[in-house]
Amino acid sequence: MATQKRSRQEQILYPLDWLEERSGLVGAVRYFLLRNVPADTDWFQTLGSATLTAFLVQATTGIVLAMYYQPGPTTAYASIQHITNDVWGGWLVRGMHKWGASVFIILMFLHMGRVFLFGAYKYPRELNWVIGVFLLASGLAEGFTGYLLPWDQTAYWATTVGINLNGTAPFLGPFIAQFLQGGTYINPNTISRFYSIHMLVLPAAIGGLIALHLYLVIRLGVTSPPWSKTAAGLGPLDGSGPNGSGPNGSGPDGSPVAPAPALEGSTSG
Amino acid sequence: MARDRIVERQRVFRQYKEDVKTRGKPFFPYAMLHDTIMSLVVVLVIIGLAVAWKWSVPGHHTGTASGWLGKLYDTPADPGTFNFVPRPDWYFYFLFYLLRIFKWPPSVILGTVGIPTILLLLLLALPFIDVRAERNPLRRPVAMTAAVLTIISMGILTYKGATAKEALGSELIGKVPEWAKEQGFEKNPLALKGARLFAVTGCLNCHTYLGSGNHNLGAPDLSAIGSKNLGIFFQIAHLKCPSCVNHGSPMPSFASQGNANLTALATFLEASKGPH
Repeated sequence: MATQKRSRQEQILYPLDWLEERSGLVGAVRYFLLRNVPADTDWFQTLGSATLTAFLVQATTGIVLAMYYQPGPTTAYASIQHITNDVWGGWLVRGMHKWGASVFIILMFLHMGRVFLFGAYKYPRELNWVIGVFLLASGLAEGFTGYLLPWDQTAYWATTVGINLNGTAPFLGPFIAQFLQGGTYINPNTISRFYSIHMLVLPAAIGGLIALHLYLVIRLGVTSPPWSKTAAGLGPLDGSGPNGSGPNGSGPDGSPVAPAPALEGSTSG
Repeated sequence: MARDRIVERQRVFRQYKEDVKTRGKPFFPYAMLHDTIMSLVVVLVIIGLAVAWKWSVPGHHTGTASGWLGKLYDTPADPGTFNFVPRPDWYFYFLFYLLRIFKWPPSVILGTVGIPTILLLLLLALPFIDVRAERNPLRRPVAMTAAVLTIISMGILTYKGATAKEALGSELIGKVPEWAKEQGFEKNPLALKGARLFAVTGCLNCHTYLGSGNHNLGAPDLSAIGSKNLGIFFQIAHLKCPSCVNHGSPMPSFASQGNANLTALATFLEASKGPH
């Protein structure tokens, strides 16, 4: 009976075993889900995944919008009206994309603020902070390029100002402005350039950067709140750690509370 | 010294990894539960905003009327309008307002490109400038002060950008007698007519004139355009088709004003020799 049961279990798990044997993906997902994080990880540390969720909302609603939106100076405005007024649920998809953009940008700033507050950009996570800054810049560029697409007065004139701002940059400014516009002023080429950058170039860049960002998060782990009495990095809590430092003997980052020679002479807080 | 610090931080990170392994909690289900709840909140907030945006628009929830969260869409883009006030999305308000602080043309570059670039480079450099191991905010006074000052100044710039009012044609026309006095064309009725047209046709949405108007579009100051003595005929031709006369000019055509108005405008521009 027991052997019968085991073989049935084996049968059920066979597709997973098959996949694992050929890709290692099952093990990777198991590792991702079951890896340990510091016990004092709290709500503050959900801002990163919240930002990811906002990006996924943007990607999903953006794909749907792309099925109805028609870039072009004579068609864009009409297709936006059509999506908002006629397409079933179109207003919801466009509304979520429009407001999701603001939510995404707010969450990026909040997440950055949390990382700053926790000092989580410090060794060995410097590189992930740099990737985060590129994500922030790409996200803002998404906001800038997407703003033109409805091709209404607000969009047109705000983009005129924006492109002229780029144009004032020394040396490269005029070239950037000309490239963005596809000419010397906003013209029929501009809208397709912005659309291409908005839905192909930047989302691909953001997707790749997010993958790197998450890889480093998993590889390096998330930090404990710096004020936590049980922060990871303090050593065993009974004070019998390899360095003999317990919770009362060291700072939250594991450095001894007494002035350490290693920290003397270091600059800025 | 530096060597000690490197050894110390490596030891702390090894200890971190060890502690997470021995007394951490598995990501699933503990941390993942929080993440999932937070993500659901995010999606619900986005849906809520979309619903409020659409269903607060008066009437049949269509058209260009404004609801609680603004318009569904504005009137169609029209490159020929001259009095539309440009407004970026809210997260660029700080940049929008920086431009009003740096009004002097040579410093515009600092406001538009310089400061954002410096901010971006500082952000990128942060982990390499702040190399101290200390993570507790209470023991990082310099970092915390810098952060608070950054948040306050971004907040003020955003607020100022959101509430900034553009000068309207109806207000600018009141300045015409003052302009006429400073430029000395009080006795020239055609130039006075041109000055009034100049005030109401939106020229000052892009240009500046004796301290009035906008730098946002980077167009030149016209206070002393007449001192170049380009001539009435050049001015009329330029107003009709700016890019024909000035290759690459982004200025729109004002040909729709008609010859009589264009002559008045040209006379006004030529009479603007700069304040004495």
